[in-house]
Amino acid sequence: MIKSVSSLRSLAPVLIVLLLLALVPLFSPSNRFLSLAISAGINIIALYGLSVLFGQTGILSMGHTALVGVGAYTAALLARDFDIGFWVSIPVAGIMAAIVAAIIGIPSLRVSGHHFVIMTFAFGQLMTIILTNGGDYTGGASGLDMGKPVTMFGADLDALPRFYLLVVAFVTISAVASWAIINSSYGRTLRAIRENEKLAAALGINVGRHKIGAFIVSGVFAGVSGVLLAYFLRHISPGQFASFPSIYLALMVMIGGARLLLGPLAGGILVSFLPEVLNLDPVQSRILYGVCLIAVILFLPNGLIAGIADGWTWLAKMSKRTPAAGNVPEAGR
Amino acid sequence: MSVLLDIKGLRKQFGGVTALSGIDLAINEGEILGVVGPNGSGKTTLFNVVTGVHKPTAGTVTWKGKDITGIPANQISRNGIGYTFQQAMAFPGLTVLENVQIATEHSAASARTDFAWPTPASLLDFVGIADLANEKAGILPFGSLRLLGLALALATRPSLLLLDEPAAGLNDRETAALVGLVQQFPAHGISVCVIDHDMKLMQMLCKRLAVLDFGSKIADGPTADVLHDPKVLEVYLGGEL
Repeated sequence: MIKSVSSLRSLAPVLIVLLLLALVPLFSPSNRFLSLAISAGINIIALYGLSVLFGQTGILSMGHTALVGVGAYTAALLARDFDIGFWVSIPVAGIMAAIVAAIIGIPSLRVSGHHFVIMTFAFGQLMTIILTNGGDYTGGASGLDMGKPVTMFGADLDALPRFYLLVVAFVTISAVASWAIINSSYGRTLRAIRENEKLAAALGINVGRHKIGAFIVSGVFAGVSGVLLAYFLRHISPGQFASFPSIYLALMVMIGGARLLLGPLAGGILVSFLPEVLNLDPVQSRILYGVCLIAVILFLPNGLIAGIADGWTWLAKMSKRTPAAGNVPEAGR
Repeated sequence: MSVLLDIKGLRKQFGGVTALSGIDLAINEGEILGVVGPNGSGKTTLFNVVTGVHKPTAGTVTWKGKDITGIPANQISRNGIGYTFQQAMAFPGLTVLENVQIATEHSAASARTDFAWPTPASLLDFVGIADLANEKAGILPFGSLRLLGLALALATRPSLLLLDEPAAGLNDRETAALVGLVQQFPAHGISVCVIDHDMKLMQMLCKRLAVLDFGSKIADGPTADVLHDPKVLEVYLGGEL
């Protein structure tokens, strides 16, 4: 059951932000800006999936870009071998990534915490090794080209402003899907597993099945994100889906906040644009990311958005209390 | 009175340590049974084997005539056996209402239609924490947390409730309130098995007691008789008073 008022209040800000972002092409932004925004958006789609897995279910995956890779390679292979375009690739890649996600999820039934994080990290590396050694089929270390453009109703969506709008549309769908999951009884079940696995089982919840289910859901998001990436970059290679990009994804979802709907959006935008805004080179930005991660874990364990929300309620409480405290003498007792 | 849960010859070994050495115990419909014993006597192991946390080394657990030995934990509650934990009673990061909603949503819908507390609100009312519905469970005082744990176990619509040290950490007033709630269960078709070593609580709650020591049952019968059993006095007090 969806509680209409309170849950709509969490969706509204996200939709407003996305609506504003959809207006950006009207101001004829630079191609550099649009490219960055598109990459950020593609990441955000995967982040919404990761937030179901990490934020709701409490399982951290450090191999998540491997699933994005499954989506991207599925799209590239479908285009090369079967002449299948973007719109069919989306569901196929979603399913493929979901299947691989379910397989990654199986060890989570026996292993948890840090140990499982290490396993997902290893899985990410394994995926890169497989893609690199796939011979002509996966294009080896140099990867695959994507020969097809995205078309819709006969129109070519390849121009950056149009592709940007396509990505914003997919981000919106991802946000709404994630919102629907969070506010359903299914989302509650996942949170129960996050909070107390033993008790969840005692109440009749099949913990294992729901953990795998969360992997499958996050896999679908990652697969869709991968298709968009393949069609955007026009060339994909194994290095893009190794463990380092996975760490960036985990970083984005932690910085933004995994449990709130605005979190993935904020995290994806911040991490993508911060180096650009501050004019940092790649080495400096890696250092910045490291500092950010430590700061967020220490001071804002629920992410930036939750931190801002907490700060806001604290301020509101303080401003309410100040006059009242003046009326009540302190030595009242 | 018919037997609800029938435990026969239950053994559990952890490596070379025998935690349970062949326990026979029957829980009857409509009773409140107490299982007592000193620390390390096997009470919690018994609880864990019945609720599917551990698989038994030997022996059977029969529920309403059906063999349920070693079935997984989440199947236990679906069969109508609810249980509470000593620790980890609730989902700390979720609100009290969400806690109970989760438990209600996963109760086997077919289990019992005649249940006295079908909704989350009615459960919170019954245990007396309705005013805390929108608080995070993690900030509840300990007494309220115990009551929430009880509400969660009740929400699965059980025919039998297993309570593992339900009054641990409660003060006298809170314990009395808990006893008042548990005593109402048999009238609502919920039999109870309480595991504890608090004799005062057991005397208030249970008409029948079973005593464990070193993994064996050394006494089983009406509470008053068991408390005067020389073997029980030996275990508890080191001999005759």
